[in-house]
Amino acid sequence: MKIGVYFCNCGTNIADRIDGGKVREYLEPSGRMSYFKTCPFLCSEDGKVFLEQDLKDEKPDRIVIAACSPREHEATFMRVMGQAGMNPYLMQMVNIREQIAWVTEDPEKAVKKTSVAINAALKRVELHEMLEKQELEVSPAVLVIGAGPAGLKAALTLAEAGRRVTLVEKSPVIGGLPVLFEELFPNMECGPCMLEPVMAEILHGEHAENIELLTMAELTEVAGYFGNFEVKIRQRPRYVDIHQCIGCGECFEPCPVSGTNPFNNDMDEKKAIGFTFMGALPNAPYLDPTLCTRFTEGSDCSACSAACPMGEGVIVFDDQEQIIERQVGSIILATGSTLYDCSRFDNLGYGRLPDVKTALEFERILASNGPTAGEVVTSTGEQPGSVAFIHCVGSLDDDHKPYCSGICCQYAFKYNHLLESKLTDTKILHLYKEIVSPGKEEYALHRAARDNHNATFIRYDRISDLAVTGENDGQKIRLPDGNSINADMVVLCPAVVPTADTEKLGAMLDVSLDRFGFFEELHGRMDSARSKIRGVYLSGACQAPADIQKATSQGMAASGFILSELVEGRKIELDPLFASVYPEKCAGCKVCMRVCPYRAIHFDEENSVSVVNGVLCHGCGTCVAACPMGAIKANHFTNEMILAEIEGALK
Amino acid sequence: MSATCLLNNTPDADIVAEFEPRIIGFLCNWCSYAGADKAGSSQTPYPPNVSIIKVMCTGRIDPQFVMKAFNEGADGVIVLACHPGDCHYKEGNLRAAQRHAMLIRVLEQMGIEGKRCRFDYVSAGEGEKYVQVITEMVATVKQLGKLSLID
Repeated sequence: MKIGVYFCNCGTNIADRIDGGKVREYLEPSGRMSYFKTCPFLCSEDGKVFLEQDLKDEKPDRIVIAACSPREHEATFMRVMGQAGMNPYLMQMVNIREQIAWVTEDPEKAVKKTSVAINAALKRVELHEMLEKQELEVSPAVLVIGAGPAGLKAALTLAEAGRRVTLVEKSPVIGGLPVLFEELFPNMECGPCMLEPVMAEILHGEHAENIELLTMAELTEVAGYFGNFEVKIRQRPRYVDIHQCIGCGECFEPCPVSGTNPFNNDMDEKKAIGFTFMGALPNAPYLDPTLCTRFTEGSDCSACSAACPMGEGVIVFDDQEQIIERQVGSIILATGSTLYDCSRFDNLGYGRLPDVKTALEFERILASNGPTAGEVVTSTGEQPGSVAFIHCVGSLDDDHKPYCSGICCQYAFKYNHLLESKLTDTKILHLYKEIVSPGKEEYALHRAARDNHNATFIRYDRISDLAVTGENDGQKIRLPDGNSINADMVVLCPAVVPTADTEKLGAMLDVSLDRFGFFEELHGRMDSARSKIRGVYLSGACQAPADIQKATSQGMAASGFILSELVEGRKIELDPLFASVYPEKCAGCKVCMRVCPYRAIHFDEENSVSVVNGVLCHGCGTCVAACPMGAIKANHFTNEMILAEIEGALK
Repeated sequence: MSATCLLNNTPDADIVAEFEPRIIGFLCNWCSYAGADKAGSSQTPYPPNVSIIKVMCTGRIDPQFVMKAFNEGADGVIVLACHPGDCHYKEGNLRAAQRHAMLIRVLEQMGIEGKRCRFDYVSAGEGEKYVQVITEMVATVKQLGKLSLID
């Protein structure tokens, strides 16, 4: 076997410390090396031309390149090899710059260490195999789960690029949480007004035909992998034909039954058939079978249908649950967040005292389409003379959520601003642990709250330092200093937490969760829109507490990844460094399946052997080391190669 | 190598001073190998006794690699992984830590001191820690002396 060694001087970086001539003398007696050539700068244009020509002339079977770190130029040299017609995996790089020349004082020892390292590489490279990148057909279609700001922007971005998008939303409406908010920080823009143009694009815009919107739907099954996911979506019956309904609302009035409205946090009632709130999109009501007497009592009431100006058939009493199957290449998780359960804080009285509200409830009270039509009133129907905002409920708290939820200060100051304009004399109290308002626009609301002469700020350390109790005429709050203050209304600003279905979705897709229960990103800073599972992307508050800006940016970032990673008509290339099972050696113990971090291994029941999926495998080799039968091979890192390298380093 | 191997240390102080141990270092591609490069960029000298074998993940390290190293004449083996929670492959480093804990017991039964096989965490940014860990390891193995395995 003809093995060539290329020794890069890296100018003086290597040559000053390591004498290439001595290395050559040291290595020659072993006979493993067919030739040894030095080059002043192998990565330079001249160097690459030299290498390519030399590979064509020498036609070696294998080569060893002793130069800088492979993290620097391995890919460069592999490309040159490809250009010279040599399989790029038939090379082993030895890092003699970062790991020898720059850190070894004694030149004799540097020569020896270099020679040993090259010797190890020579032994290893003999065993290298030709590897080829495999190509795989992929589906360019995308599944987006969650139709809040992140999911909407992702779906729209992809649809505009011509991608087929299936947008799955659990609730009957799109828009996520902010669509429930009258006004938004930091600029007091109207929430529905801000979202409506995006929602209109999704529903009726130029690219709407690329978007399949499935409301009242959830992902139930996933098979396959990046490029080729097979998904099953369960869509609950709406009992209203969304395509025929004109959203006039004539059906509500005749409906004989009502129940609490979950979209107003059960603070008011809605009919068995109705919108979640006025202005909800898609512009069609839904029928709640837990209220409608046709379902609860088996009645033959058809008052709603009779009132429908579009005639029979728009309200579909025998609507059925559907299972919808789609094939997609990638999946975006945009399932959003919810608020930490405030009933865990017994001292705050939430759930017991009617005028202790969560921030979400207060948003609905402020909203003109909410339960009080935007009037701020207490449970007795009076305007509050004093409102206390308790910030950091459950946040910055090791017993609950240690992180800062990031958005609460902003919305609390927004409430401050709205209260100030709605109820000019109302006293406002902010109880807080910390206040954060970074950003070019975010400080304005904070400063306005500070400048409000009706507002008081009191800092507390622990939530247990506060106690909210009911009085005849409102609430009394015990403060950390032992004094008390009365508040007609108390609004809690709870920690932002993942939605209840995060864990289930994570398990279904094998997307890991972080220690707080949010979907874990591939890298917190460099790759926060990607999960650790290839082809599954993260957007918005399902990954960390997020405001609308962050959510929409991430939605678009995830779309960007998909547009660059899965290009229509272009096959994906698979890195050949994956593992594979020798079926004849596999005993079927399934240890490999348990240790694989990517669920890349499945069990072929028919043949009782494990099978590695090369697309899902990331090539870590954990299964290879775990297999008691030695039945798994890691491409380019086989046992034989590593053992030969060890031998070469010691002999 | 059988379980009856014995250790043959050289207690002579002069010989110990001249003794240059041979150590095999298994480094993962993402954190510790990058940490070693980082140490190189800062050009802090450290003892040249460790031969680096790069693997994609420390989860790839089969205990037989460590045994092979000792069998071929290594006086020490060091495994450097990503910090817990930082593994490029989620948890390969923790598998490596588990295997290391078991391996140490086997090595000690064979008469190889546990200190000859060190496991530690070095991130891509911890060039200084890399230098410190390597320096300590070389000093430890120098103190333990040459490893001689008798069949």
